[in-house]
Amino acid sequence: MKKYTFYLKMITSSLFRRRSRMFTALLAVALGAAVLSGLVTIYYDIPRQMGQEFRSYGANIVFIASGEKSYFYDDDLKKAVSYLPAKDIVGITPYRYKTIKINEQPFMAAGTDLEQAQKTSPYWYVSGKWPQKDGEALIGQEVADLIRLKTGSVFSVVGTGADNKPFKRDFTVSAVVQTGGSEEAFIFMSLKDFENMAGGQNALDIAECSVSVSSERLGIIIKSVNENAQGITARPVKRISESEGAVLTKLQALIYLVTAIILILTMICVATTMMAVVAERRKEIGLKKALGATNRMIAAEFLGEDVFLGVFGGLLGAVAGFILAQAVSVNVFARSITFQPLLIPVTIAASIIITAAACFIPVRSAAEVDPAVVLRGE
Amino acid sequence: MNLLELKNVSKIYGEVKALQNIELSVAQGEWLAIMGPSGSGKTTMMNIIGCMDKPTHGRVILDGTDISKENAKALTSVRRDKIGLIFQQFHLINYLTALENVMAAQYYHSMQDEKEALEALARVGLARRAKHLPSQLSGGEQQRVCIARALINYPMLILADEPTGNLDETNEKIVLDIFKALHKEGSTIVVVTHDPEVAENTQRTVILEHGKIAKINVNKKINGGNKI
Ligand SMILES: Nc1ncnc2c1ncn2[C@@H]1O[C@H](COP(=O)(O)OP(=O)(O)O)[C@@H](O)[C@H]1O
Ligand SMILES: [Mg+2]
Repeated sequence: MKKYTFYLKMITSSLFRRRSRMFTALLAVALGAAVLSGLVTIYYDIPRQMGQEFRSYGANIVFIASGEKSYFYDDDLKKAVSYLPAKDIVGITPYRYKTIKINEQPFMAAGTDLEQAQKTSPYWYVSGKWPQKDGEALIGQEVADLIRLKTGSVFSVVGTGADNKPFKRDFTVSAVVQTGGSEEAFIFMSLKDFENMAGGQNALDIAECSVSVSSERLGIIIKSVNENAQGITARPVKRISESEGAVLTKLQALIYLVTAIILILTMICVATTMMAVVAERRKEIGLKKALGATNRMIAAEFLGEDVFLGVFGGLLGAVAGFILAQAVSVNVFARSITFQPLLIPVTIAASIIITAAACFIPVRSAAEVDPAVVLRGE
Repeated sequence: MNLLELKNVSKIYGEVKALQNIELSVAQGEWLAIMGPSGSGKTTMMNIIGCMDKPTHGRVILDGTDISKENAKALTSVRRDKIGLIFQQFHLINYLTALENVMAAQYYHSMQDEKEALEALARVGLARRAKHLPSQLSGGEQQRVCIARALINYPMLILADEPTGNLDETNEKIVLDIFKALHKEGSTIVVVTHDPEVAENTQRTVILEHGKIAKINVNKKINGGNKI
């Protein structure tokens, strides 16, 4: 029998036969590891999350007509779009607008590509189904409130067409949309329905485009579009793209700070738990020393236990941390995160190091216990 | 030849003189009892003999070497190699079985040997209790595990501090019989006891009072009549 087999036997017995005691220590390590790995996951996931998040705040380029015309054509848009990096395009949504009346009250009707609209305006909160068939419309919350419409209601739209002829059309409400913006006073329908109603072919008022690029690149892209395209001008939607970087940095710094604080708290927590464990085991340490154990042997036993605690605590923590990060991500960003397998060994290694560091002082004091305590009664 | 010699040994804790100018020698193979009222310095003396503490003054010569000036590390190795310790409060490692407790002493000494550890347990009548945890053993059984553990590395000197102090009569007799057998085999034993029945079986009894040797009783029955 090798010497270390008995060493392992002692360590595992100490851990498993003193379950309730070790459970506290394990919990401390696992909790720390969970919060740490969770925060690290979020830390690295934030740029990805926020990138999507900012993109989901809608378009970052808007196309409008240039020159004296107030509209541009489908072909102009196609040409302009060809100057954008194809793989980074999230969506391009054309719009046509017309003032119409429902029940003698004026509203804005918008004809659009409903599928693309979902991509460039993912933050729209739609209760109901996006229009599928001809004659279906998506109405803003304001419209729904004013005219008392709800999903399934039918309403009539009147107005004057491109050829100055009055028109009247019936639509069914397929859904009501909340956006927190002016869109709530709009009635959205497919371009086809819009053209059938108001006439005019292929003419567009604006187009929104969402491109997944950094704000610096966006500027370059827009410049090249404007140099090359005709009848159409691209403009950046400044509000979001520029604040993106600043917000990201601040958020990451915040998480970084929180992670550092948690790391210190974890170490204090594990250290105090370990100190309590050592204090509780003074007699046992004294006994072992009375039996001839050297300081190094005592330290090796405690360190061995810590490594076990670090491994199991780290493993538990890595799993719990992922669940934590997932919960935060789902609740805050409404998106799931991807699992990083590398994080498991990293968390375990970190747990071992933290546990060992936290145990350094208690283990040293453990090794210094005077064997004479054993003969002296309680 | 004397295995152990205390020369003018004193131990002072601040104001308390736990031991004062102790002169004592213990011969190879001798069985010695130490008696005295509580607080008279018995445990202090055992700690010094057992290399767990150092005297404030004086010299302690064990097996020809002066251990009173050694550092903690050297004392640990002397203790490991030459001393077998038995305590009043049993002191087993509570998460190790009886067998593992005995093997722990082997492990700290040199190398664990399960077969030998089992034999040691058999010797104190606990072969069938080898896999039990201390909490599953009676007081008497725990003390016997302690004895098996103290003997496992063939110590030169067995030190027992009130080994029967916490035991009932039946177990006291079992433990006493083990000591008798050890003595017969030639072991050197120093036992602290309150029990005259234990002292009766030893060759000499040292009576401590206020840290001083008040009297040494030589047991004529044993020394003269070869009674064991
Ligand atoms: N570590 C210590 N610090 C201070 N005083 C001590 C210490 N250990 C023992 N003493 C004192 O030394 C005296 C002898 O103690 P001890 O050897 O334990 O007596 P006994 O074992 O005979 O009951 C007592 O007065 C005790 O209070
Ligand atoms: Mg005592």
